[in-house]
Amino acid sequence: MGTRISRRRFMVLATNLAGAGITLLIAAPIVGEVLQPIFTRRSHPWVRVGDISQVPVGLPTAYVVQMPTTQAWKVPPVARIVYVVKLNVGNQLQVLSLSNVCTHMQCDVHWDIDLQQFLCPCHGGFYSITGTNVGGPPPKPLFRYQHKLAGETLYVRDRLTEA
Amino acid sequence: MARESTRSKLAGRLTHPISRPLAIAYRWVDERMGITDLAYKGLYEAVPRRGAWAYTLGSATLIIIALQIVTGMFLLWSYVPSTTEAWESLNYLAHHDEFGAIVRGMHLWGAYVLLLVIGLHMVRTFVSGSYKKPRELNWITGVMLFLLVLALGITGAMLPWDQAAYWTTVVTTHVLSYVPGLGHWLQEIWRGGNQVGPVTLTRTFAIHIWLLPALLVPLIVVHLYLLRRHGEHGSWVNYRNDPGESERERAERVLRAEPPYPAVPSDPGYAVPDDLDEFFPSQVGKDAIISFLLVLVIFVMAVVVGSPLEAPANPASLTYVPTPEWFFLPLDQLLVQFPQAWMIPVGVFVIPGLASTLLILVPFLDRSPDREPWKRPQLMVPALFTLLFLIFEALLAVNRLFNL
Repeated sequence: MGTRISRRRFMVLATNLAGAGITLLIAAPIVGEVLQPIFTRRSHPWVRVGDISQVPVGLPTAYVVQMPTTQAWKVPPVARIVYVVKLNVGNQLQVLSLSNVCTHMQCDVHWDIDLQQFLCPCHGGFYSITGTNVGGPPPKPLFRYQHKLAGETLYVRDRLTEA
Repeated sequence: MARESTRSKLAGRLTHPISRPLAIAYRWVDERMGITDLAYKGLYEAVPRRGAWAYTLGSATLIIIALQIVTGMFLLWSYVPSTTEAWESLNYLAHHDEFGAIVRGMHLWGAYVLLLVIGLHMVRTFVSGSYKKPRELNWITGVMLFLLVLALGITGAMLPWDQAAYWTTVVTTHVLSYVPGLGHWLQEIWRGGNQVGPVTLTRTFAIHIWLLPALLVPLIVVHLYLLRRHGEHGSWVNYRNDPGESERERAERVLRAEPPYPAVPSDPGYAVPDDLDEFFPSQVGKDAIISFLLVLVIFVMAVVVGSPLEAPANPASLTYVPTPEWFFLPLDQLLVQFPQAWMIPVGVFVIPGLASTLLILVPFLDRSPDREPWKRPQLMVPALFTLLFLIFEALLAVNRLFNL
């Protein structure tokens, strides 16, 4: 009787261990695959926006920029809006490259001439000309692209920097 | 007695409060859903004691099919079913996602091991004559499951859209065009047009991930239901088949048997195995060990060998030699052996169709009460020759394709 019970307990143990082994062997690579985006480093190449010499001071101007997708395999670039804003701060001309992605739920904002503000159509968010959130639900200012000027030609990087 | 004590032990463990709220929640659900009763119904079943290791192949098949479904579900997280991106997405997987590459490797090697294990499961069932009354439908659903798995294998081989996949698609879809009368339409329906192209891949993908599994899963349920209804037959070693046993003794033995025996008492001499064991943990433990070893093999092959990805599909290649998946080599050889317009349908439809039909009809071709393989030579000998013929055809194909 005693040996029968120990054999029985052995089989229960074998069932549990083998079951755990099967689960582990299947689950481990799947978990790794699903979590892969977290552990992938991505490059952020400079992208040409264009000649900004014609952008008037005080009027945010939308440029359509072809952003390369570094998320995965080779796919066509994605069109993104970069709002180029020229402002006179003191005697200095300041250039901002604003993302038009609303910081609330990531809808596209646009410059509203009448309101003189950026307006988000989804939930009524408002931003000033510098991208500061001034009304509605947005929790943060519009993100600013890292940018550099070569003469009058503007380049931006997809790595967003907070204002 | 032993059963009662396990029952109370398991019930005790299930309701023992790791934390009180958990136990209370379990009891609340159990009162309404009867999970414990269901678990007991599933776990405590009589199975034949002798030869239990040979009876692990069915559960191994089930576990590997589950592995295929789970790894397939998560391959969809990385794979794009489009002629322009299928190869790109898998190439990305191979070079930038080590774990995803293992998942794909497990899906491929899972398919290979699955076909082997199903084959062994069928051979075991065939040799032990387990398909006899009342288990004819167990066999028939089993053969249908085997054919579905073959179809899953060939459609799966088309999805990577590399050279191997592309030419598998071209040849396989063109085979359909030799169906007398309807052939051209069938090919056009699968290809989504005259040529192999984007629609072909989308349709093959849909067939592979939805149509075939949606047929497979209910058939598995029927297969398992029938197994539970009639009990595991086992093999000749489980039956005394004592000719001296009187009608009365036999009836008494059948009456004393634990569920699920007696099976339909059509075959009283064989209705109840002589020596029974509990399904859990005796059989489940062995099942789990074998399944674990097979999954381990699949995992190791996925890590060490992985899954190949050839050059992207190229319809304009002059140097590429297309070779079919190994489990289709015998059929590929038939294509060589049946040239000429009128003979091709014989090679691709009549012979495989006849073979499948005979396989399904096995329980009706062998109606003798004998289960021992040496008492059924009229079935064992042709089956052995068929198996040798398939291996011979495969070897001929290998010789032709790889110039060994």
